[in-house]
Amino acid sequence: MLRLINKQGFFWFLLAIPAIGMSIGFLRDPVTAFDLIHPSGEFSVRFMIIAMMISPLRAIFGRRRWLDWLLARRRALGVAACLYGVLHLAFYLYDMGDWGMIAEESLIFSIWTGYAALAIFIAMGATSNNASQRAMRTNWKRLQQLVYPAALLIALHWVYVDGEYMGMVVHFVPLLVLETARVILMFKRRSARRGTQAATG
Amino acid sequence: MKFAQAMLAVAAATAMQFSAAPDAFATGKMKCDAGPQTGWKSRTDLEAKLKKDGWKVKKSKVDGGCYEVYGVTPEGQNVEAYFHPVTMEKLLVSQRGKVIFKK
Repeated sequence: MLRLINKQGFFWFLLAIPAIGMSIGFLRDPVTAFDLIHPSGEFSVRFMIIAMMISPLRAIFGRRRWLDWLLARRRALGVAACLYGVLHLAFYLYDMGDWGMIAEESLIFSIWTGYAALAIFIAMGATSNNASQRAMRTNWKRLQQLVYPAALLIALHWVYVDGEYMGMVVHFVPLLVLETARVILMFKRRSARRGTQAATG
Repeated sequence: MKFAQAMLAVAAATAMQFSAAPDAFATGKMKCDAGPQTGWKSRTDLEAKLKKDGWKVKKSKVDGGCYEVYGVTPEGQNVEAYFHPVTMEKLLVSQRGKVIFKK
């Protein structure tokens, strides 16, 4: 069983399970597109947050086997976040069903923030491969760091579309706590290093 | 290590705290003091009225003591609208979070 879970293909299958369920539901009854907009977006956010949590967890806990396991699957999590974002858009477009209204809504703050975040996701997802990493060199890292503004755009998109913030808070608070802890630890370690240098120098 | 564990516990506890009490943070976009539900008009009546007025109703439910309707207005806007469950009066209409009507 453990060997099966460790297979990358099986991990991809696990990530795809919600999408398979949603797609079957949609194919059986396309009217459900409206009800699938929110869950598909939530899965996109969840995978993005899990992928983003790996770096602060490693900074806090150091190298751990379970973190190495997750790190080896971070690319899959990021690509899944992107693909669920595309699925989210597809359900939204189908539900709207009118290009004029889609264009009109795209100017609303809650909607253009979603488009902007998805554009970043697509750029990141399309370059999430070794060839792009080699070709883009340092720019690849810069592009991946756009996940932070994308996360902010998603948080705004979520709050403004829903008109309430609890769903967003539940998802983002663990990441925010871990990132804060990472920054605190970074400063603590830096000042400890300075203390050691002052004592020895 | 103690610091790391404490931070992880804070993250987990915060997430659990918020997810365990969703009712305490109901959407709160609109509140209706409409009395007991026995005196309310039915959602079917509201949906029928809206359809007659040219709306396309996707979904309706009770939220904050009001009827909340997801649908398309006669003008073609995809909206979320709140109605008083006794008078069926339109109280709030928002398009993707942008308020386009408020009583």
